Amino acid sequence: MLELDNVSVRFGGLTAVDAVSLKVGSSDVIGLVGPNGAGKTTLFNAISGLVRPTSGQIRFEGRNVMATSMYQRARLGLGRTFQIPQPMHELTVRENLIVAQRFGTGKVDHAKLDTILDFTSLADKAGRDASSELALTELKALEVAKALATDPKLLLLDEVLAGLETNGKRRFMGMLKDLHAKFGVGIVMIEHDIETISNLCQRVAVLNFGQLIADGTPEAVFRDPAVIKSYVGADAGGPDA
Amino acid sequence: MKTTAWIRNTLLLAAAYVAVPLALGGNQYVMSMVVAALVIGGVALSWALLGNLGGMVSFGHSAFFGVGAYVSALTTVKLGVPVLPAMLLGGAGAAAAAVIMLPVLRLRGPYFALAILAYAHIFRILATEWSSVTGGAGGVAHIPALPTVFGFELASKSGAYLVVLTLVVLCALAYSRIRASHYGLALRAMHDSEDATRVVGVNSTLLKGLMLLVSAFMAGLFGAFNAHYINFLEPDYAFSGLWVTLPIVAAIFGGYRTILGPVLGAVVVYLVDQLVFKSLIPTGHQLVLGLLLVAMIVFSPNGLLPLLLKALRRKEAGKEKQHA
Amino acid sequence: MTELIAQALYSGLLQGGSYALIALGLALVFGTMKVINLAHGELVLLAAYIAYSVESGLGLGPMFAIPIALVIVSLTSVGVYAIISRIKKDREINSLILTYGIGVILTNFILLVWKADIRSTSSSWLQEGFEVGPLFSMRSEVIFFGVSLVLMAALWRWLSTSWYGRAVRAVASNRDAAKLMGIDPRRTEIVSFLVAGILAAFAGVALFSYGVIQPAYGSALTVKAFIITVLAGIGSIPGVLLAAVLLGVCEALTVTLASSALQELSGMVLFLLVLFILPNGLFGAARRRG
Repeated sequence: MLELDNVSVRFGGLTAVDAVSLKVGSSDVIGLVGPNGAGKTTLFNAISGLVRPTSGQIRFEGRNVMATSMYQRARLGLGRTFQIPQPMHELTVRENLIVAQRFGTGKVDHAKLDTILDFTSLADKAGRDASSELALTELKALEVAKALATDPKLLLLDEVLAGLETNGKRRFMGMLKDLHAKFGVGIVMIEHDIETISNLCQRVAVLNFGQLIADGTPEAVFRDPAVIKSYVGADAGGPDA
Repeated sequence: MKTTAWIRNTLLLAAAYVAVPLALGGNQYVMSMVVAALVIGGVALSWALLGNLGGMVSFGHSAFFGVGAYVSALTTVKLGVPVLPAMLLGGAGAAAAAVIMLPVLRLRGPYFALAILAYAHIFRILATEWSSVTGGAGGVAHIPALPTVFGFELASKSGAYLVVLTLVVLCALAYSRIRASHYGLALRAMHDSEDATRVVGVNSTLLKGLMLLVSAFMAGLFGAFNAHYINFLEPDYAFSGLWVTLPIVAAIFGGYRTILGPVLGAVVVYLVDQLVFKSLIPTGHQLVLGLLLVAMIVFSPNGLLPLLLKALRRKEAGKEKQHA
Repeated sequence: MTELIAQALYSGLLQGGSYALIALGLALVFGTMKVINLAHGELVLLAAYIAYSVESGLGLGPMFAIPIALVIVSLTSVGVYAIISRIKKDREINSLILTYGIGVILTNFILLVWKADIRSTSSSWLQEGFEVGPLFSMRSEVIFFGVSLVLMAALWRWLSTSWYGRAVRAVASNRDAAKLMGIDPRRTEIVSFLVAGILAAFAGVALFSYGVIQPAYGSALTVKAFIITVLAGIGSIPGVLLAAVLLGVCEALTVTLASSALQELSGMVLFLLVLFILPNGLFGAARRRG
């Protein structure tokens, strides 16, 4: 469904994403991991249309989306959450979802919105002001809810669990587990916790210094020496240390 | 709409359409001032719409006003188009002028404001220099007046009043409809969180552009009306900075966040300007307007009228408590 | 024909000096406070009219007006800052409307005091011809071009070496970090308005010395300064000078080849061209989009 073909993103002299090729199917749940600064969010920005790749090709459902703007990609079914939640200001939670659904799918279906609100545990917060009356867990839930409201085929989740405490994290993990089953979306999620990834994803892609250094099952990837090196550094472990 | 708001609006409309002409119809002087005030109110409404829905502060609405005036005047004088359709053409012309301004939309707040200011200058110079079309600095004279419809002379002071009042009502309705729609929601969100809207499928650039066109159309409409009302046009008048300053002062005075605020503000500010300021300082009476603007922004940017109303309501509440 | 064009280039170059001063004042304030002072052109005009009063009242050449203009215009500039700093919320939008209002006040104040007639210097010494080869100019043009170059060099030096100058640059690039470093943004804001006022004063006196002034001109000056900043992009002082000269040359060429009435239009057209074709300005690499 999503095909990245040798995608590179350069900012001046800095190469944030280096010739990444990746295929995501409609029933995949893929984890995207890598040390800080590896280029994960930049890759998401390139896929969703916030940033223009310097070279390479991005195809969504067979069509080349390199020239399509961000709002058009959203309408095509590419949903995405931001690492730092960006609720729509001056609107309530429900209004946030109404806008997302209205402009992402073309019409408003309140029954569907209620399902999403229940699923993300936001039903009782529906009337609250999105930018000033929500706690962090709720803001993160709203990010997911907004993306779901656009009826996406692929969902890019950027560190949804970051900054959450144990309870919130557990609830979210339950939600993420059901996400694919309930809404039939393909998922690519950026997370740091290896256990979470192994738990939720059948496939893991590892980014280091902008390059894709591994792509496989969690077991295989997390035992890969190159991956271990990228996380803990070259001098860790080994008999000579 | 809530019943109280409905009742209030109907009463206002009845007062405006019936009571005012009956009461003031005989006094030509006052009526002409009310008409002028409503023209300013209309431009103020269009300015507030652009600010509230489009999130853009414009210092160039004189451009839309002037273009609307000239397009309407010239199509009637040179092409023989009847007056009322010509006014619509005037609005369309102003919207076309706004299309030329669309690339400026991607500039941030201050840059956008200055760019619009530059455009206003351009149109004024064009009107002055393109003499073959616009009549140059001399302007256009003998512009056809508003027609007589069903025996009723729209060109009379009362007739013109009803026409401009209708224009204001229609524009206010359109404004209110847009604001209440899903587009209105998206537009509000776009002010501080544009990326959040774009990522869920909102074509924010298109929406902003449309708001600019709507605002321009409205301002152009009032410019066109004005041309047929005073029957004469020249560049320095049509593109005068007064069409920028007065609407802004009016909108902020009356409370630019509400729909009717700018219109009510215009009536008050214009009447005070004509009756008080102008007699105090004949040339440069705009100076007092500038002072008023500065004072308002510093002390009460949400408008003076809402503040006064709130104070009045508090006094009423206080009195009730005493009697209770 | 070539002589006419060469002459236009030369006149435009000389004019560019004063334009650059005006644009730099606007840019300095915007850098530290993120506020565009829409009344900036009126400050320049005020200085010009002060020069007129000094000449017509005291019979002294505009050069003697410089100290008086410096004091009055700088104080007015700081006064503008005082009013702007009283805005609590929505500073970006409200300051625009506010400075627009101040511009209206200043323009009409000038109109009240000095009336609407067009004025220019009557000093024959300043208007006397000064020739550089085949190129001709008024003495005043050359003198003030030299003055503006000196001022720009001084500004450059001040920004790069003096404490206040570097503080201004720090606040412009990262306000919060500057605060952490012990820099009081308010002080730098006042300083930037002060310096902008100084530059405006010189530009105003220059304007009176070789051009014509009228009350409505203030707004046009602000627009010109803005056009120059758009042309220059977010750049350095040399960039602004180059853009200013470009504007001056465009205007001069339009006057020579077309008509003097279209002079204002040429700057606007240049501005539109850059907007459509080179959205990052001629030299600037940074994006202006929010």
